[in-house]
Amino acid sequence: MADDTESRSTGEGETGGRLTRRSVLKLSPLVLLAGCDMTPEGRTESFLRSFQKFNDWFQSKVFDSSRLSTEYSASELTPEDGFRVNGKDDDPPDIDPATWTLAVEGLVARPGTYTLAHIAALPKRVMNTRHVCVEGWSMVPRWGGTPLGEFLRMAGADPGAKYLSVESADDYTTSYDMPSALHPQTLLCYEAYDKPLTLPHGAPVRIVMPTKLGYKSAKWIRKLIVTNENTGGYWEDQGYDWFAGI
Amino acid sequence: MSRGKREYQHPLLIRLTHWVNFIALAIMITSGLRIYNASPLWNFSMPGFLTLGGWLAGARMWHFLGMWLFAVNGAAWVLYNVLSRHGRQTTLFRGKDVSGVKPMIQYYLRIRREHPPAGKYNPLQKLAYTSIPLAGLGSALTGMSLYWPVQFAPLASLFGGYDTARIWHFIFTAGFVFFFAGHILMVIIAGWSNFVSIFTGWKQATD
Repeated sequence: MADDTESRSTGEGETGGRLTRRSVLKLSPLVLLAGCDMTPEGRTESFLRSFQKFNDWFQSKVFDSSRLSTEYSASELTPEDGFRVNGKDDDPPDIDPATWTLAVEGLVARPGTYTLAHIAALPKRVMNTRHVCVEGWSMVPRWGGTPLGEFLRMAGADPGAKYLSVESADDYTTSYDMPSALHPQTLLCYEAYDKPLTLPHGAPVRIVMPTKLGYKSAKWIRKLIVTNENTGGYWEDQGYDWFAGI
Repeated sequence: MSRGKREYQHPLLIRLTHWVNFIALAIMITSGLRIYNASPLWNFSMPGFLTLGGWLAGARMWHFLGMWLFAVNGAAWVLYNVLSRHGRQTTLFRGKDVSGVKPMIQYYLRIRREHPPAGKYNPLQKLAYTSIPLAGLGSALTGMSLYWPVQFAPLASLFGGYDTARIWHFIFTAGFVFFFAGHILMVIIAGWSNFVSIFTGWKQATD
C-alpha cells in the first residue's frame, strides 16, 4: 500500500529471508515488547518524542526552500531494473488509473476533484534526483511530473496555509510543511524513466519530494488537504520524524 | 613510590567531557548499529543486544538526541584544550613526536626492554589522543552528510556522495571501537590509581 519507506519494522524483512514484510509488521509489536531491544516506552519515549519535535523544528530552520537537490546526468541514473519498490504492504491497492481522480479540500479557492488530464496540462518537470530511504539505501530514478506548487496555485490553495496533508488509496497518510510542498522539485509525479508510472511505484500519481526522506513521497495519492493543522502521518505517528528533511 | 604523594592528572572539564562522551558514544554506536541493520552495508547484521532503540524509528530518536550531546560535548572539549593549552602541552601529537613512535611500539612488543623517555603521555598515546578527536570530527561531518545530503550537498560530495559517506561514517565508528578496546587494555595495565584519576582528577605519584 503506501510508500517508499521502512516496511521492515525490525529491519529484518528481506535480509532475514523467510519473513514477508506483512508478517514482520504483524510481529513487530511483539518484537518491540521484547525487553532486551529497549524500544522506547513510557517516559523515555515521551522524552525522545519531545526531543524529536525539537529536531523537526531545527530541520525546518535548516531547510532552504531555494536549495535544489542535485540533479544527476543520464549516466548516473540508477538502472531501471534497480528502481526499487518499497512500502508498508506487499501489494499495491486496487486502483483504476482510468477513473482515478484527485480530491482537493481545505483552504483552497477551487476545491473539488481533478483528473490526470488537469495535472498533465500544467508545466512538466523531469529530474534525476536521489531518493533517500530512511533505511539508509538510496537510488537515482528519473522522475517526471507537475510541480506540486503549480497544481496548488491552480487549485487556489491559500498561500498562507501552514500544512498540506495527503491521503493515499492504501490508507497511507503523510503531511508536509507548506514551504516543502511548494519546493520546485516537489512533484505530482506521473512518470518514471519517461514512461507512465507503474502501479507498484504509485500509479497513476504519486508525490516525489527529493528534499525529504522517501516515506514523504506518498504513492497512489487520492486526496490533498490544505490546512493549518499538522495531521502527522502513518509512519510519523509510529515514531518517524515528521519533518524528515534531508 | 612514596606513599601519599599525589599528582593532579585530569582537570575537571576533561573528566566531565570524558564521561559525557562515553555516554554519548554509547548512545551513538548502539543506536547506529540498529540503523545499520535496517539496510546493512555488508552481508551481516548486528546482534540485537548490541543495539539501542528496538526498531529503526526508536534508534533514530536516540541517534538524533545523542548527536547533540556528542557535538556539544566535543566542541566544549576542543575549546577547553585550545583555550587552556592543556591539550597542546600534553596530548597533541606533533612533529617532534614522530621519532618516538617506533621505540614505543618496540617497547609494547617487548622488543625493547626499557620504556623510552616520555613526558606525561608517550608518542603513541599522543597519536591516539590526537586521532580520536579527528575521528569525532569525521563522524560528525559524515553524519551531517547523511542527515542533510541535500542541505549540505557539498559536504556530502566531499565524502564521495551519500552512499560512500555511509561507509565513511561506519569506518569512523569502527575507529572508536578499536580505540575503546586499546584504551581499556591500557587502563587495565596502568592500574587502579590511574583509573581513579578520571573520576577524582588525582593519582598516586609514580616517582
